[in-house]
Amino acid sequence: MSYLTIIYSILEVIILLLIALFVGVLIPGIERKYVHARIQQRIGPPVTSSGLWASIKFLYKENIKPNSPVPGLYKAMPILCFIVVFLVFLALIPFNYNFVLFSSLIAIVGFLKVEEIAYVLMGSLSKSVMSAGLRFPDHVKGAERLGTLTSYLEDISSNRSLRMIAFGSFPLYLALFIPAALSGSIFLGDIIQYQQLHGPFIFTLSGIIGTVVFFIGLMIMLNEYPFSIVKAKADVIDGPYMEFASKYRTYIYVTRGFMIFTLSCLYGVLFLGIAPGLLNLHFILNIIVALIFVLFMGVFSAFSPVFTNKQFYPVVLVSSVIGALAVILGLLI
Amino acid sequence: MSLKTHSRSKAIHVMLVYTGGCNGCDIEIVNSILSPKFDAEQYSVFLTWNPREADVLVVTGPVTNQNRQPLEDIYNAIPNPKLVVAAGACACMGGVYKNCYGDIQSEEIEGPVENIIPVDAKVPGCAVRPQDVLSGVVASLPKLLGAD
Amino acid sequence: MEEKKAKTQEIIETEIQMGTVHPAALEPYRVRFFVEDEIVKDAEVTIGVNHRGIERIMEGLPVEKANMLTEKICGICSNIHVWNSVRVAEIGLGVEIPDRALYLRIIVAELERLHSHFLFLAHGCEVLGHETFSMRVFYMRETIMELLHMIGGNRVQYGCSIIGGVRPRCDLDESKLIKITEGLDTTEKNLKEFADRFTRDTMLLSRVTGVGSIPQEQAIKLAVTGPSLRATGVKKDLRTEMFEYENFDFDIITQPDGDVKSNLLMRVLESFESIKILRQAIKNIPEGKVVDRSWEMVDTDIIKSYIEAPRGTLYHSYAIEDGRVRGSIVRTPSMANIGAMQYASIGSHITDAQLCIVQCDPCFTCSDRAVEVYDFDSHEKLDKSILQSNIL
Repeated sequence: MSYLTIIYSILEVIILLLIALFVGVLIPGIERKYVHARIQQRIGPPVTSSGLWASIKFLYKENIKPNSPVPGLYKAMPILCFIVVFLVFLALIPFNYNFVLFSSLIAIVGFLKVEEIAYVLMGSLSKSVMSAGLRFPDHVKGAERLGTLTSYLEDISSNRSLRMIAFGSFPLYLALFIPAALSGSIFLGDIIQYQQLHGPFIFTLSGIIGTVVFFIGLMIMLNEYPFSIVKAKADVIDGPYMEFASKYRTYIYVTRGFMIFTLSCLYGVLFLGIAPGLLNLHFILNIIVALIFVLFMGVFSAFSPVFTNKQFYPVVLVSSVIGALAVILGLLI
Repeated sequence: MSLKTHSRSKAIHVMLVYTGGCNGCDIEIVNSILSPKFDAEQYSVFLTWNPREADVLVVTGPVTNQNRQPLEDIYNAIPNPKLVVAAGACACMGGVYKNCYGDIQSEEIEGPVENIIPVDAKVPGCAVRPQDVLSGVVASLPKLLGAD
Repeated sequence: MEEKKAKTQEIIETEIQMGTVHPAALEPYRVRFFVEDEIVKDAEVTIGVNHRGIERIMEGLPVEKANMLTEKICGICSNIHVWNSVRVAEIGLGVEIPDRALYLRIIVAELERLHSHFLFLAHGCEVLGHETFSMRVFYMRETIMELLHMIGGNRVQYGCSIIGGVRPRCDLDESKLIKITEGLDTTEKNLKEFADRFTRDTMLLSRVTGVGSIPQEQAIKLAVTGPSLRATGVKKDLRTEMFEYENFDFDIITQPDGDVKSNLLMRVLESFESIKILRQAIKNIPEGKVVDRSWEMVDTDIIKSYIEAPRGTLYHSYAIEDGRVRGSIVRTPSMANIGAMQYASIGSHITDAQLCIVQCDPCFTCSDRAVEVYDFDSHEKLDKSILQSNIL
């Protein structure tokens, strides 16, 4: 490996990262303006407002100490999330396929698990003023059950994220292993090579099922609207993110967009057989995939109410079952 | 225009706190943000319910005694720079409820909002019109944009 | 020596407090949910957060002024409060109201009922997390708000009724009546489309069916009023007993289950009835003057008046002494429905719990008054045990 290749690879990663971040911060605006607002028959916000300018604006806000038992850990969480997503992103770059352990599906699943656990921690560490923290001359005369343990709203969302780890992330992980079953390898390099020889998986039956399951898993992973029980506005307001202010809120905004882009890159690698790269302009395809995902996500979220457990379990169950079927189908063929 | 000013003018998060008015102003304001007819989002004004995210606090109602503490708490939770818009006659000057007990000493009405937190803009009206709320937020914006 | 007895103690996992500022509530109130594994085991709605004591302000004011003040009780059903307050004085003073004024009052009241029901639908959809439907209903509501703005000159508080009729500025000429008819046509068309989409949306229906169900006996026991009572199947509408509505033909809508779905459909169907009443009123509106000022102020005893507000039975009463109000009492419909709110939210998932409160169409700004509950038959004062959850 020559010295020049390494320099080139680092440059490539940086440029790709910048592209990913730029696309990522535009995604909320695109979703809001061109999908939601259009369906709701109104003009909607400027495309750059809800993602790009909001993120920059929060950088200039006063950095306050969050109301949390461990402020340091709580503040570190968004950064951790960003690093984890960045690591997943790194694993997808062709240069890193040499480090087989790093660029394997197991590693990616592991990284995404860290992201999920971060939600649990964020939820339990946030003690917002909007719930039990609101000083209210409570317990009026005749109030019942005085002295009960009071929980913050974020505690509920922490509980819910724990459940999401238990069952909510099944569809995504099953969808990740469909290509592994088809190609017989869990290493990204092998999966891509296999697809270059035999054509992309999206044109096989398992691949089509896998795409649907991947999409559902992606929405659950991102806590996107119908699956947003972790941060449902009707009860937990903003969920685990309640206490983030100023630049930490920026990290969250950026991480969300970056994650959509990364997961669509992952989809590109696993089902289309293209690795993100600068020279072969494959990143344009990734952007297109990301935008298609966002489009569908927007349509889906505009036409459905928030799912409670009653709706959530069947959706996860059905998508997991068809995901498992696709894996079995892949193994048999 | 610097990046700071520009970004602030392009994304304004509004939070609404109701402190015991008659519901008229609250619904008109939520309407103005929500309904497709007024659609405040086209002027990059977003409704949020998280004080940590908010820039502008819109207060309605004459601040009853029990609402004083929550209002203060939420105001303190908003990171600087922040604006307070008092919307409606009650929030501006106490409305019909100011001095409602006459000479009898009473702590029922603490308002107007000025007595509790500093107010940057006052939007009159009973109930306020959605257009007025938007113009109130916009009129007070220079203070927000110019802040450090 | 004290008798030793094992304390029966329910162990509740935790308590979740929502309010006074919460996105699911459009008004300040406090609710404490006692939760076990995200299932609400008990609920307690605390009101009194926006108690302003409007009866105290009314005390001793001239009757006309006090009537105008009742409008400030509520920003959603402002007109019905004025109407009822004026009605009290009219019953007491024996004022004859011109027919045209009656029709105008009914037009405004039914338009108000429409916008109140639309607000309920929009708010319900918002709490469900269905932003598109919420926007859709708010869009429909805007047509009604414009009509009310045209009649009264204000979007929220129109101040229409005065003793002896309605304000001359609220009189409707031919062009305004045509405008109302056009507005009603578009509203009816939109509402039909919305109802059609609503009933076919399986995802939405799975969220609302069977959630927060109130049995009929329980609803009667808790003295629930208005659409919330009719949604449990009880055919009771005070409009049938009011002399103002004598010449109008309309049905009383009932729904079978008393859950969120019934409540939402209830409001949709009742809106169609309101449109029907409005059409009749516009068609048959008589000519003549709109206000009769030839009444004289006399002292009266306490006069009571019941009226059907958008949310149920509304009660106003006061006595008149020297042209001033004495001993004013207001009882708003949401006050009676608080018990139902608590009952409905028990046993549901915590995301649905706010929905269960919303399904009774709460208006806590109305209902923040001091109350004492008496048994109807025995006139005994009841304590809060009647509101307790384990009543059945």
